[in-house]
Amino acid sequence: MSNDEDFAAAYREHYWAVSRYVARRLDGRTSEVEEVVAEVFTVAWRRRADLPASPLPWLYGVARNCLANAVRGHGRRRRLVDRLGNDDTVHGRHIAAGPDQETPGGWVHDALARLSAADQEVLRLTAWEELGIDEVAVALGCGRRAASMRLHRARRRLRAEIDRVHPALAAGAHPSNPSKEHGHG
Amino acid sequence: MADELELLRRANPVPVDAPHFGDGPLDHHAERQLNRLLHGQTPGSRSRARLAWGLVATAVVAALALALVLGGPNTPPAVAAPRPLVVRADSTPVPLQLLAERAGQDAADGSPRLRKGTHVLTWSMGMAEDKPPVTFAEERIVRWKADDTHTELVVATDPRHPGRPVLSDEDGEPRLVADGHVISRQTFGPSRSDAPPESAPPHDPTRLRAYLQEAGYSDTPLSTPQLLDSVDVLLDHWTLGARENAALVRLLADAEGLRPVGQVTDRLGRRGQAYVYDGSGAGRMLIMDPATGAVLGLESTATVAEPEWGLRAGDVMQYSAWMR
Repeated sequence: MSNDEDFAAAYREHYWAVSRYVARRLDGRTSEVEEVVAEVFTVAWRRRADLPASPLPWLYGVARNCLANAVRGHGRRRRLVDRLGNDDTVHGRHIAAGPDQETPGGWVHDALARLSAADQEVLRLTAWEELGIDEVAVALGCGRRAASMRLHRARRRLRAEIDRVHPALAAGAHPSNPSKEHGHG
Repeated sequence: MADELELLRRANPVPVDAPHFGDGPLDHHAERQLNRLLHGQTPGSRSRARLAWGLVATAVVAALALALVLGGPNTPPAVAAPRPLVVRADSTPVPLQLLAERAGQDAADGSPRLRKGTHVLTWSMGMAEDKPPVTFAEERIVRWKADDTHTELVVATDPRHPGRPVLSDEDGEPRLVADGHVISRQTFGPSRSDAPPESAPPHDPTRLRAYLQEAGYSDTPLSTPQLLDSVDVLLDHWTLGARENAALVRLLADAEGLRPVGQVTDRLGRRGQAYVYDGSGAGRMLIMDPATGAVLGLESTATVAEPEWGLRAGDVMQYSAWMR
C-alpha cells in the first residue's frame, strides 16, 4: 500500500480513538475536539511517510503535541488556556461520585491533577487509552525502559495522592506492587 | 479496594462507548476532512477549506458549474480552471543561492519592513464526485492596527477577468456573484500570541527554520513540501520585510528537491523566477521576485489524474499570489 492508502486506513480505523484521546483532555467539548483532531490528522498527513505499522500510539503522540501547541498558542488556543486554567470541569470536578462510592470520580481526578503533566500523561495513556508499555513508549517518544520507569514512578505518586485525598482509603488493601503491572497490554 | 490504575480507569471521562466518540463509521465531518487531505489540500485557511464543499456538492451545484462553463450568460463568468503558469522557454533559471545573495544585499537597509497582515489572491479548486471541478477566486486583505485589533476583508474577484461574474460559496452553496462582491468584512478585537504563525517571524535563517517547523506542528525538521506548506501559512499571516525575505530565501536555497526552472509571468502580470518541487500527488511551483527574493506566489498542481473528481494531471488545485 502507498503512504496515502496507509494513512487513509489509519484515519478510518483510529479517528474515533484519537477523538476520545483529545476529548479526555479537553473534557469532551465537541466543537473544539473536532478542531484539534483535524489538526492532529493534518500533521499526521504531512508526516505520513513516518506512519508505523501500528499507527495508534504514534497518532496519540501527534495528538499530544497538538494539544501542547494548542495550550501554548494562538486565537482559539488562548481561549483553551483560559479554560484549562479556570474551568472546573477540565479537572474532572464535574464527576460527582465521592470516595466512599465504588465508582470513583472527581477525587481521582483531583489526585491526578496534583501530579506533573508527564506523570499524568503516562497514567492516562495506560488507564484511559489502555496502552501497553511498548505503545506508551511510542506515544511518548521514549524508550520502553524509560516508559516503564515513568509509569512505575507515576503510579507510586498517584497512589500517594489518592491516599492523601482520602486517607481512609489508605487503610484499605493497597494494590499489588506497581512494577508487576508493566506487562499490561 | 482497587489499585490506583483501576480507580483511574473507572474515572475515564470519555469511555470507548461514549455517545459522541464511540467507534463506528466516520461521520460527515470526518469523511470530508479525509477527502480534503487525500486530494492535496490541507485545512488551515479559509481558502484551503474550500475543497470541502465540493465533496458534498449536489448535482445542482455541479449543474450550475456546467452551465457556467458550457452555456453561460452573455458575459462569460470567470470560473474556468486557470491554467498552470508557463515557464518562458528562452529564460535562464536563477539558482536559489544566487537569489539568496541578492536578497541579502537588498535587505541591507532593512527596508521594506515586516508588517503583520496579508494581501493575497487565491484560486482554489472545488471538486464534486463525477462532475467537472470549478475554481473560486477571492482576494483577502488583513490589516493589523497598533492596538492589536485587526480587520479582514474578503471579496470575490478574479483579476485575470475584471468585471466578469465569479463563483462564490460564502453560504456553503456556490453561486455567481458580481466581481468585487464582499464575501466578508470583519473586525477583530485585540489579540496577541507568542506562537507561530501569529508571533513575528525572525529574520535569522536558523530561527526562521524553527519558527516554520513550529508553525507546521512538526517535531522533526520539515521536508521540502512541509516547508512550502509552512511558507504558505506564514504568508497568509505576515507581509515579510526585506530581512525576512532574505532569511526565507536562504532556507529555501537549502531545501532538497526545489529546482530553478526559469522565468514566469504570474497571474498578476509580475515577472518572477519559478522553482519547482515534484511531489507525489501534487507538484509545487514557487514564484519569487528575482530582485528581492520575495515569494510572489505558490501554485499546486495535480500530478496524477483523479477521474472520480474530474481532476486531470496538470490541473491547478490551489494558487496563491501575495502582494505588499
